[in-house]
Amino acid sequence: MGQGVHVQELPGIGKRYDIDLGRADQRVSVVVRSGGVRDLYVFTSTSADPTAVIELSEEQARKVGAVLSATFFEA
Amino acid sequence: MHVDLVGLGAAVLIAGLVARAGRRVGLPTVPCYMVIGILLGPGTPGPTLIEHPEDLAMLAALGLILLLFHLGVEFPVEQVLGSGRRLFIAAGCYIAMNVSAGLALGFALGWGTSEALVIGGALGISSSAIATKLLIELHRLTNAETPVVLGIIVIEDIFLAFYLALLSPVLSDSDSAAEILRDLAVSFGFLLLLFAVARYGARLVGALVGTREDELLAVLVIGLVVLVAGVSEEVGVSDAIGALLIGLVVSRTAVRERVERLVLPLRDVFAAVFFVSFGLSIDVGDLGSVAVPVAVAVCLTLIANVAGGVVAARLFGFNQRGAANIGLTILGRGEFSLILATLALGAGLDARIGPFVALYVLVLAILSPLLAANSHYLARIMPDALLRPGWRYVREETISTSCTHLDQIKITTTDVDVCPACVADGEQWVELRLCVTCGNVGCCDDSPARHASAHAAGTGHPIMQSLEDGEDWRWCFVDETLVRAPAGTPVEAGEK
Repeated sequence: MGQGVHVQELPGIGKRYDIDLGRADQRVSVVVRSGGVRDLYVFTSTSADPTAVIELSEEQARKVGAVLSATFFEA
Repeated sequence: MHVDLVGLGAAVLIAGLVARAGRRVGLPTVPCYMVIGILLGPGTPGPTLIEHPEDLAMLAALGLILLLFHLGVEFPVEQVLGSGRRLFIAAGCYIAMNVSAGLALGFALGWGTSEALVIGGALGISSSAIATKLLIELHRLTNAETPVVLGIIVIEDIFLAFYLALLSPVLSDSDSAAEILRDLAVSFGFLLLLFAVARYGARLVGALVGTREDELLAVLVIGLVVLVAGVSEEVGVSDAIGALLIGLVVSRTAVRERVERLVLPLRDVFAAVFFVSFGLSIDVGDLGSVAVPVAVAVCLTLIANVAGGVVAARLFGFNQRGAANIGLTILGRGEFSLILATLALGAGLDARIGPFVALYVLVLAILSPLLAANSHYLARIMPDALLRPGWRYVREETISTSCTHLDQIKITTTDVDVCPACVADGEQWVELRLCVTCGNVGCCDDSPARHASAHAAGTGHPIMQSLEDGEDWRWCFVDETLVRAPAGTPVEAGEK
């Protein structure tokens, strides 16, 4: 995987991608389940327990991803 | 032919509605289905939706077959084999403790040897579905112990296959020792044959069922699965194990992912019928008479599970919280226990196994989500002596593997046993810390000079580890988190 993304297999669930944002109080992990559902883990404190976990369907994940990567632009 | 569509439809609908309500409060689905079967069946006073449970026998059998087939198809063989020795030891200890507790109870009950073997399996093998859903719901997918939990339940699934093979002669009606031996040889021979097909004949099987049309793929696969399960039953191996192994065969073919996707909804529906149908066979009056054995069984399982969690945590270097999370997450019993009970009842073993397993699954279904969610209380009271003493300050903390600096672990040992900066200044230190990026040794934050923290701040090197005897924790200064290497890679992988 690319720089700063750590991949962990989760047998029976899918794969987890831990994304390095370079800060302790801002961390993001994404779990891609084999069924297509994504769990977005957001850590806004240095605690190992996530601040928020959002479950996204494949369609929703695409939408969020498109906005984040700025490929989606509409006036 | 008599077809009771109204009864079947109503029972499945009500089971689904109750399971949906149960999910809102975090209950697993399997026991909900079973309870509806018990309540609406002929064995319970009150309204009876299904007068003749045997009408559902065919659909329930299909449910059992599809449950095991799907398990075989999605079986992550490579991941398990590549997961390393530590995971096998941890899972082996977990299974050994749970199954032997179950066997001990089974023999103590005095219902018979075959019955004891069934109870050993029913108590010993946890439910993958319940554990997986718990991990997702409790938001524990980034925890360090989660890959270990998932690895253990996958290895339990393999164990299930062998246990089913071991049980099949017991469940057939052989009397003499010679007959039992012959049956055992037949069932293991059949296992080996299917393993060989999985290894060498997957291409042939793929050619047999492979088609670009989803409709035909589903029809061909279901036909093949039911046929293999039926043949297994004929040769004296249970239909369950035949279905599991043909699942393994299909998992080696190119159509694996499509089959997984196509079979999933079928499995869910027919498995629900299977669980309802199991409930139908239970007389609610019998539940009272097995209450004491069930209470003992639940206590035994709890103890064995926590012990299993401690063993796994010791092996992988987790703290008390990790140990508690492992033991309590895989506490749930469900589909496999019910499958074993069904096979036992089908073979005409002691009828008390039915209500016993039903009540046991029900109690653990309610207990396991509650206990897993409150694992930090167990972590608080767990003695340090069980685990590594170095965790005493952080016993209740969750350990994360979401540290992204693991690639910077380069040096994990050193001969230096002083803090050189302190020696130069003529100062004293309390404990020593090693920078795993460059090998610098500094003193801890309880020491006056705090050279390790100063080194990390000055160089940007993220991770340090304790050099004290008996402690083996690492701390990431950037992520401010306790760090473990992910499961599957040896601890010293980064050593150069």
